[in-house]
Parts: sequence; C-alpha cells; structure tokens
Amino acid sequence: MKIETTRFGALEVDEKKIIDMPYGMLGFQEIKRFVMFPHREDSPFYWYQSVDDPSLAFVVTSPFLVLPEYQVDLKDALKKMAWEDHGSETPFELYVVVNIPKGSPEKMTANLIGPILINIRNSQAVQLVLADSPYSHRFPLLKQN
Amino acid sequence: MLILTRKLGEQIVIGGDILITRVEIKGSQVRIGIDAPGHLGVYRQEILEKIQSENVRSAEVIAPDLAEAAFLLSSKGPRGNEP
Repeated sequence: MKIETTRFGALEVDEKKIIDMPYGMLGFQEIKRFVMFPHREDSPFYWYQSVDDPSLAFVVTSPFLVLPEYQVDLKDALKKMAWEDHGSETPFELYVVVNIPKGSPEKMTANLIGPILINIRNSQAVQLVLADSPYSHRFPLLKQN
Repeated sequence: MLILTRKLGEQIVIGGDILITRVEIKGSQVRIGIDAPGHLGVYRQEILEKIQSENVRSAEVIAPDLAEAAFLLSSKGPRGNEP
C-alpha cells in the first residue's frame, strides 16, 4: 500500500510490515499504525513513521547499542497485550525513542524508561512504562569525553 | 473534579472494575491502593509526563541533525562500546 509522509514523500509499504499499536505512543494514543525503516545503511537509527499521520515520525534505535546490559521486565506488557510468553524463543524486538536537540546532535539522548516492544509474530507493538527502573529518560548516546 | 472524603480503608469504585483504597496517611503523604484490570496502565503522572515529552521531542528531530548524529556515533562510537 502507498502511504503519505511529510518527510519522505509517498512511500510504498508492504502491508505485512505495518506495526499495530493498539494503545498508540504516549501522547499520541489515537495514532495506531506505524512502519519502521532504517535511517540510512550505515546509521544506527530508524524512523518510526506513522501510517495515518504523514507528519508524525519518531527516531528510534536499539537500546543494546548504547547499553548492552539493558534489561526490561516483559511481564506487565505481555499481560496488557494478551501476548503469549514464548520463553527463550523470543519473538520480540526492543527499540528506544531518540532525541536530538535542534542544532546539537552531540547532545542526543535515548529514553530508556519508555521502550517500544514489538512482537514480530503478530506485528503488534506497545510502548512500555518502566516506572521503577534504574534507567534514565535522557541517556546520552555519545561517549562523554 | 469530583472530590470524595474517605476514611482509612474505605474505597472508591470507578466503572465497576477499578477499586481505589485509602491505605495510609503519613504527614504530607497519602498511600493509595489501586486494583485495576491489567490492560489499564496505572502510573505515576510524572513518569508518563517524561515519556510523553520525550516522544514529542523525538517527533521534532530534523533530518540534518539526525544525519550528523549518525555520523558522530559511527566516528566516535556509541557509549556502549566504552572500554
């Protein structure tokens, strides 16, 4: 199917690649369908583009790139989404929302308390709320020299 | 806003399946017990606020900054690779 986007123009998207977020992203709850695609070949970032709102796209990346020991308890999310727990044979992918202050890319941060959990078996996703986690919502991505 | 007065242990029911109990009062703090169905997220407001505001800011990232950020990460290395 064809989707309209403000940043990238019209995009042809495989319908099977559309990610359904029944609860949306926090602050954007009414927007339920997204597609994810790499920013560039050599970039660690992805665009998380809304299918229904052309102007809405988030920047995300893998939390493990910046914090290899990053851990999330999936129990509440599995319950909330009524997803089965497949044990070690995990069909899930985790991404974190990235912020880049305008004109100061060196100050880029990732929000480690609101990761996006994608179930690749049913193409559903949910943004988690890690209320009692040790992580920061503005975790610097660059090495601090 | 509806404001109700409750004694210790007295409850409030919302919509039939959300149960709020006054558990304890200690100085300026109130402890509240909340029973709600699993699909309803119950969170401290300030945590939601943080995540929401990071979402809003991420949606405002502009392409040139993102390109520069990707370049910085690939040349300087992400924090995860620190020795």
